[in-house]
Amino acid sequence: MLSKQTVKLDPANNPYKPRLARIVSIKPQAPDHKLFQLRFEDRDYAESFCTRPGQFAELSIIGVGECPISISSPPTRKGIVEMCVRRTGRVTNALFDLPTNSMVGLRGPYGNGYPVEDMEGNDLLMIAGGLGMAPLRSLLWYALDNRARFNRVILLYGTRSPEDLLFREEFDDLITRADLECHVTVDKDPTGNWPYNVGVVTSLFDKVDNLNPDTTYAAICGPPVVYKFVIDQLLKLNFSKGRILMSLERMMKCGIGKCLHCSIGHKYTCLDGPIFTYWDAINLRESI
Amino acid sequence: MKSLRMAKRHLPKFLESLGKWGKVYVPVKLGKNSYRWEEFDGEVDNIALDALRTVIPAKKFFYKPREVMFEYDKTNGYTQACAECEEDVILFGIHSCGIHSLETLDNIFAGKYVDNYYFTRRKNITIVGTSCMPDKHCFCKSMGADTVDEGYDIFLTDLGDDFLIGVGSSKGDDIVNDNPDIYEEVDESTTKRYLEFRNKRDESFELVLDTSDLPTILDFQYDNPLWDELGERCLACGSCSMVCPTCYCYNVDDTINLDSETGERWREWDCCLFRDHALVAGGHNFRENQGGRLKHRYLHKQQAYLGDFGRTACVGCGRCIVACPANIDYVECLKAMRGEMTSA
Amino acid sequence: MAKPSIGVYGLTGCAGCQLNIINCEDELLDIAAAVDIKSFIMAQTGNVECEIDIAFVEGAVSNEKQKKQLLDIRERAGLLVAIGTCASWGGVEAMINDVPREVAKKDVYGDTMKDNPFYDCFNPMPLKDVVKVDFQIVGCPIERPQFIQAVASLLNGNLPLLPTYALCTECKFKENECLLIEQDKFCLGPVTKAGCGARCPSNNIPCEGCRGPVFEANYASEVEIMLEKGYTKEYIAQQMSTFAGTISAEDLGARKLVKTDIP
Repeated sequence: MLSKQTVKLDPANNPYKPRLARIVSIKPQAPDHKLFQLRFEDRDYAESFCTRPGQFAELSIIGVGECPISISSPPTRKGIVEMCVRRTGRVTNALFDLPTNSMVGLRGPYGNGYPVEDMEGNDLLMIAGGLGMAPLRSLLWYALDNRARFNRVILLYGTRSPEDLLFREEFDDLITRADLECHVTVDKDPTGNWPYNVGVVTSLFDKVDNLNPDTTYAAICGPPVVYKFVIDQLLKLNFSKGRILMSLERMMKCGIGKCLHCSIGHKYTCLDGPIFTYWDAINLRESI
Repeated sequence: MKSLRMAKRHLPKFLESLGKWGKVYVPVKLGKNSYRWEEFDGEVDNIALDALRTVIPAKKFFYKPREVMFEYDKTNGYTQACAECEEDVILFGIHSCGIHSLETLDNIFAGKYVDNYYFTRRKNITIVGTSCMPDKHCFCKSMGADTVDEGYDIFLTDLGDDFLIGVGSSKGDDIVNDNPDIYEEVDESTTKRYLEFRNKRDESFELVLDTSDLPTILDFQYDNPLWDELGERCLACGSCSMVCPTCYCYNVDDTINLDSETGERWREWDCCLFRDHALVAGGHNFRENQGGRLKHRYLHKQQAYLGDFGRTACVGCGRCIVACPANIDYVECLKAMRGEMTSA
Repeated sequence: MAKPSIGVYGLTGCAGCQLNIINCEDELLDIAAAVDIKSFIMAQTGNVECEIDIAFVEGAVSNEKQKKQLLDIRERAGLLVAIGTCASWGGVEAMINDVPREVAKKDVYGDTMKDNPFYDCFNPMPLKDVVKVDFQIVGCPIERPQFIQAVASLLNGNLPLLPTYALCTECKFKENECLLIEQDKFCLGPVTKAGCGARCPSNNIPCEGCRGPVFEANYASEVEIMLEKGYTKEYIAQQMSTFAGTISAEDLGARKLVKTDIP
């Protein structure tokens, strides 16, 4: 053994090896978006599978390939892994063709996740655009399930149109919850039946009073345009760059810092991310 | 460290002895000016002892250009496939830069998640290094990879009529003990000849790259138009990465058999200069132009990896300089970024 | 569930790709067991031209009759896969597309063929110029393992994943001496799609580009390299258009990346 590295070779624990998981349920969310509930076949493993909000996992469709998907379920709910997926590529296309009870491969969780230890004791402001709600939902429910650990919890969520709203069945309740300031908006409402705000997600800032930038963590997730406008808004509100958290998207092929497909400057999205502070992000030149 | 001396005429015996520890691979000449690792055919004369760089570095023994990671079937999922991982191999003729490059790869494949494929081979491969004399493309000295004092089982230094035999591991000791008759103790003349060799080699480096402050300089040169000029010349052919002993990125794909039930998951060396490298599902490409891709490769080696592991991901072997059809010269480019006069 | 139905068709080409399908001897029974071959004129009798799941089409389109046939195939097929470089890039038939067709016809046939329907041809073009092509398996001819892999993948419901990188990468895997650099040979490896296992360079023959260009082929840089080596512009253009003649001469000479758009 000439390597200076002390490594423990454990063939039974190949980090690249997907474990079998079963699709327990499929809930259509929006056009080309579905929520998949997965459970590891190994029940003990399923119960011990421990995530942090904001982490992701590598999903394998057996016979097709593997891709990274963010975990939408919070660590407070054991046994089931939820993934809200948009049909975009080869693997997700194949996933959408699978019926309930199909077997898939899953490995993870990977990535740093949100720095919840630092965030606790603070106000939490979550801002999501479109599918950006998928990773943020794990943080949302983590905060609601540990409600006492946070002060104000605020969620601003915008989609293109009412039919694009993800987790619709949850939002009817979320909006009425007393311990959550929840505001949703749509860019356009062709139906005319939308009971809430119409406008871009930043227009929701007007609905939130007395944001204190010194005691608030802002977690943003969405397409690049959302980052741009929301960050501008937060900086205007005097948020420190280290209190703005973003979830970045890359092709994390291995998820464990080997394949280099997700590198941004000197960081690996899969190990050092996907959650970066805005300060990190502006120091990673290719990040947004 | 244990040092011995072996007369060159004993080389056949030495190699024969090596065979007891596994399959011996050596560099052999190929075509006009190239070398390749091949299994030793028993003829010492066929070994290219003067080979500086094989087309593909010794990396390929530890980390295959294309390998099956898993076999799968739709009912039972994935089973690790690694038939040849357990093969005992001896590499004879790897140079100092090659040994350093393995250390570079070790850093990546170790860590929190250990790559079994790589480290199983790392465990099973014996390293017999040989000394070399640099040519105009070697800049290992600038990268701090021109000498080794560990990382090998045995290291042979060419001292004219003799080889100085450095024994670097217990396995290396077993190998020399297997054939005690061919070795002699080192003496004063050995030391003298070693120092002569060392000094001569040290003075032979023509290519020098000043790496001081390079990460900061590259930071300042982020928007230098030279990146795009080089990007326009770059063919994205992948040669530089394939021949690089420290490039490690890979791509994964699944193939399925005609039964639609069983198949294999492969990984294959990849290259960050390829268009698909930073492409995500949905079609967005985070590195849209070739200049940006090329810059990423250079910055990764001289800045990012350095930040993570305290050394650059370049050992100065010169392979990428030799292998670029478009004559894009790694050292010239970095010199230009430093503001040194060059023809890059 | 009914077996997926396929059809294999040939337009203008040498039929070598179709032959290579028939040459998949070890797998042919498996393929035949997995699919229902409705039409494959070169291999069987009793062909039926009906709706099919996958059509494999070889050859370039070079006359109105073929154009009609191709449109009909497209109409009937769920997926249309171009097989071979002719179907994907025009191939050798399109080599002299810069010569007016009338001139070419006269040069080759004189006046003797005027009444022959084969005389009614236009500049050969790849399938994608006429219909939507879902996937291309390039090669002159196609590689058998790639065809089998593609069929297997399609049967499983996915588009195949074939190499998208340049031949140089594969040539390096083979540890060949670089013919372009070390022997100054005219090699099209850097701009040609891999997948053949660098067959020619492994036998000391430079790559002629028979698999057609990679996505974002940097022809401009390749031309410059060859000019520096002393090859003439005419020679370079001639070599480069042998298999990919439908890429315009401007693309071949200009500082321009040639981007392709079919997987």
